[in-house]
Amino acid sequence: MSPRLARTGWSLLAWSLILLVAGPLLWMVATSLKSEDEVFSLEPTLLPVEPTLEHYAVLLTETAFPAYFANSVVIATATTTVVVVLAVLGAFSLARFRYRGREAIASAVLLCYMLPSVVLIIPLYLLMVRLGLANTIASLVIAYTSFALPYALWLLRTFMAAVPVEIEQAALIDGASRMGAFFDVLLPQVLPGIISTALFTFILAWNEFLFALVLVNADDVRPLTTGVMTMLVSGFNIEWSLLMAASVMMSVPLIIILAFLQGHLVRGFGAGAVKG
Amino acid sequence: MRPALHHLGDRSLGPLLIAPVVLVLGTVIAYPLFAAIALSAFAVDTPTLRSRFVGLGNYAELLGADGRFWPALGVTLVWTAATLALQIVIGVAMALLLNRDLWLRSLARSLVLFPYFVSTVVAVLVWRWLFNDMFGLANQLLMKIGVIAAPLDWLGTMPSALLSVIVVGAWKFFPFVVIAVLARLQTIPESLYDAARLDGAGAWSRFRDVTLPQIGEVLGIVVLLRAIWDFKEFDLVYLLTGGGPVDATRTLPLIVYQEAFGLNRMGMAAAYAVAMMITMLGFFLLYRLAVRGRT
Amino acid sequence: MVDVRQGRQDSVAMTGKPTTGENGAPLLNRRCLLGSALALPMLALPMAACSGNDDRKVLRWWSPQAAPAQARAYRAQIAGFEAANPGYRVVFEPTSDEGYPAQFAAAFAAGQVPNIVTHLPSFAAQSYYAQGLLEPMDGVAATIGAARFLPGANAPYRAADGRLSAVAIGGTAVDMLWLRRDLMAAAGIDTPPRDWDALRDACRRMQTKRIYGAPLPYGSNSMTSLVFISFIHRAGGQVFTPDLQLALDSAPTYAALEFYRSMREYCPPSASSYGWSDSLNAFVSGATATGIYGGRVLISAARQNPRMARTLVCVPYPSQTVATPSWTFNDFPCLFIPKGATEIAATKALASSLYEPAGYVRQMLAAPGHVLPVLQGITDSPDYRGNPITSLFATQIATMTRAAAAGHNLGFESPAHRPNTKAGEIIASHAIAEMVQRVVISGESAKAAVARASSRIAAIMRGADVPR
Repeated sequence: MSPRLARTGWSLLAWSLILLVAGPLLWMVATSLKSEDEVFSLEPTLLPVEPTLEHYAVLLTETAFPAYFANSVVIATATTTVVVVLAVLGAFSLARFRYRGREAIASAVLLCYMLPSVVLIIPLYLLMVRLGLANTIASLVIAYTSFALPYALWLLRTFMAAVPVEIEQAALIDGASRMGAFFDVLLPQVLPGIISTALFTFILAWNEFLFALVLVNADDVRPLTTGVMTMLVSGFNIEWSLLMAASVMMSVPLIIILAFLQGHLVRGFGAGAVKG
Repeated sequence: MRPALHHLGDRSLGPLLIAPVVLVLGTVIAYPLFAAIALSAFAVDTPTLRSRFVGLGNYAELLGADGRFWPALGVTLVWTAATLALQIVIGVAMALLLNRDLWLRSLARSLVLFPYFVSTVVAVLVWRWLFNDMFGLANQLLMKIGVIAAPLDWLGTMPSALLSVIVVGAWKFFPFVVIAVLARLQTIPESLYDAARLDGAGAWSRFRDVTLPQIGEVLGIVVLLRAIWDFKEFDLVYLLTGGGPVDATRTLPLIVYQEAFGLNRMGMAAAYAVAMMITMLGFFLLYRLAVRGRT
Repeated sequence: MVDVRQGRQDSVAMTGKPTTGENGAPLLNRRCLLGSALALPMLALPMAACSGNDDRKVLRWWSPQAAPAQARAYRAQIAGFEAANPGYRVVFEPTSDEGYPAQFAAAFAAGQVPNIVTHLPSFAAQSYYAQGLLEPMDGVAATIGAARFLPGANAPYRAADGRLSAVAIGGTAVDMLWLRRDLMAAAGIDTPPRDWDALRDACRRMQTKRIYGAPLPYGSNSMTSLVFISFIHRAGGQVFTPDLQLALDSAPTYAALEFYRSMREYCPPSASSYGWSDSLNAFVSGATATGIYGGRVLISAARQNPRMARTLVCVPYPSQTVATPSWTFNDFPCLFIPKGATEIAATKALASSLYEPAGYVRQMLAAPGHVLPVLQGITDSPDYRGNPITSLFATQIATMTRAAAAGHNLGFESPAHRPNTKAGEIIASHAIAEMVQRVVISGESAKAAVARASSRIAAIMRGADVPR
């Protein structure tokens, strides 16, 4: 079998599987472009017969969708920033220093994975109230930090552990300070890891649902997930066509990330994370 | 394992750098966790938070004959094991495929990863719409090609409800396996395969003798992480079936939520959550033992 | 578990020569980056927290009825209130039917309650009031004018202490039987069915390869519980006796279960997971010949299926026999004020302002026929009648208004019943929906399923022993 033929064969197989996997999402896009009576047609068609952008127009002009979108951007960006900064410093500490309690902290972080988040909600909410943060964007940023930080820390710690110490030692011998060596030598080395950590955190914060449902109930701080649900899925009615259009627009940042940073995601993840 | 740098550094710098993490995790995880453990010893009315001490009474009830812990644990284990197995099989196969030279490989990789990144809310709504008996594509396609005569009830009856949840879970989360395995595959030197080819190894034995040992470690970690996450998955199951029919897809996290906010028994919910956490810890220790035993 | 070699290969491959050529400008950039990364959340948080800051005091209004048209009507009412009370700003915040218990739990626990809450079911108000979480509403009712309400409109909110836990804001005849004249004619049916046998027969005759008979819910959700309770009553039964003794295990329950099971073959396959929206869409899209829903059918049909809208017939859902009294589920959308709400005088003024005729009519017309007026004289007013839907469907709306006024729910099973403050929890536990599922889907014996549901409901009733 010639390499050319093999490539064609594998490509055909791969692409048919990919279309199957992406099928539901492609159907979401198709549905969002259908008019309402086409959506509720008893003979569903794969592609819209008369594509329309009306649902997008309604969402953008007549609903709070743009506000929810802005809230989600702020929440996800702030969470990512806080988590990455804390995790980079913390991972540096765990990977490059020896002190009493270090292993205990590392295990405690791992244990944090195992907490079912449902039960943390009420105590966390009461805590937010005590801190005067109830119903603010900050409360969600703090809550999301609590889920994302352990994973980010673990990821970055393995990234840093995989970088040979000798390079930093060389910088220290050249007279760099501990933090100087960290910023100038170690940080560039683990940049792919930082990018992939940041992406995972951003996506987690962008997509979270349960905490957003309980912790905030004011419209001016509500993110997309719960905003879209409360707006379009009342117990009495589901606005399917608007919902599909909202879903497509919610996914735009993720599409951008995947289109431009997919390589980073895969390489970064491989370089450190998974070797725990 | 390697020379540490502690002698080169400021002694207090290490603890100083980890301090913010400890502080944040201490407030947002440790405090609520202890609060939860404390709550589990009380009967607590959710909206008023009025409470009465019951000691281990909640645990006695949930583990007892009328309690729902054991059946729910069974459902949770079936869901976790089945969806995890599917994720691993599909994920590894897809990673192998995507590691080849393909047309538009970068686009292909992005599309495969997409389900993992799309919001669970979105994913579930799309699937519910696909499964819709009247306007959904799933039934229409299957009826058109003659597999079924009448629309199937995907989410409302057993065993299809549990099966659907498992399949949607596998679809949503297998890309995580793809990312991890693909990353590792890219670092396997081609020379290993060349050597195996020279020895006359076929495709299967190349996979078994070269690829599998190389990705074994990665798979171990992926299994651990995904097992933890699948075990405590809430959004996907809750939004897809809400736990029905009856309790057939009600996993432990859904019970916790129902006890806390449906039945207003916050203390009982906390007891279920603590029991669930202890179970996870048990499995985690078993895993550690198994890993240690092997190496 | 750490594979150092691999990491080395990767990191070197990624960054080229890491130790040289990394001084000067790039270094500065990195520091700037980190610095701005630190500063960004510090900036973002206060900015987000302070957005939209002005001197006016804020009043918060929650409602699960927040379709775009309804939200517009509320905004108009809010604008009127704000113009008359310049010191206040009203923020409308949608909540959801499934999500509100969790949100209220958190809000009450934290003392961060909204000022007014509208359109929650009467049993939610009764349950929160019994827990001491709500303000009595007698004063607000008096300000609005007790005589302006339709007779009995506020009866479902009368609490055990004789005060009002809430005031009515609307009524909804939730489970009407909807039919289509065209399909009835095609099947040779002249009049709407008036008992169960006739209903089942009509569904059988109207069912075709493409159209099912009825969209009854069999899901483990609140719709199934609420609708099935109506069926128990339509067989002449009740869930509780007037003094709240559990009466589920009785002949009418078994008759209702038997009928409900016999209807399964006339319902679409995924009726086993149907909730309100699925049931509504099934009928409005033409997938079922009959519907079971409130006035939202009119709005959805007018929009999605105008041809069918002209053929709609609406009657109270039939009882077991013509002799059994009719029973309609009304969840009695209400207005209440949580205890601890800030600015109580302004809050009460806001509450009564929602009943000023012009705004009230507009609010009713935002979901015409679905939320029905509870004030005297609205249905006959020219403003109300001028709406295309209320004028086109005047007969159907009149039927629903009568049914809603005579309606009941689990918190208020009959005028003789004591208010059941545990109704919300019984519905949320899905005990009744699960009883239906056990019998219809899992094929368990009705006796066992009823016994199981009874013991769960009894446990919920007993659950009140947390000290006050």
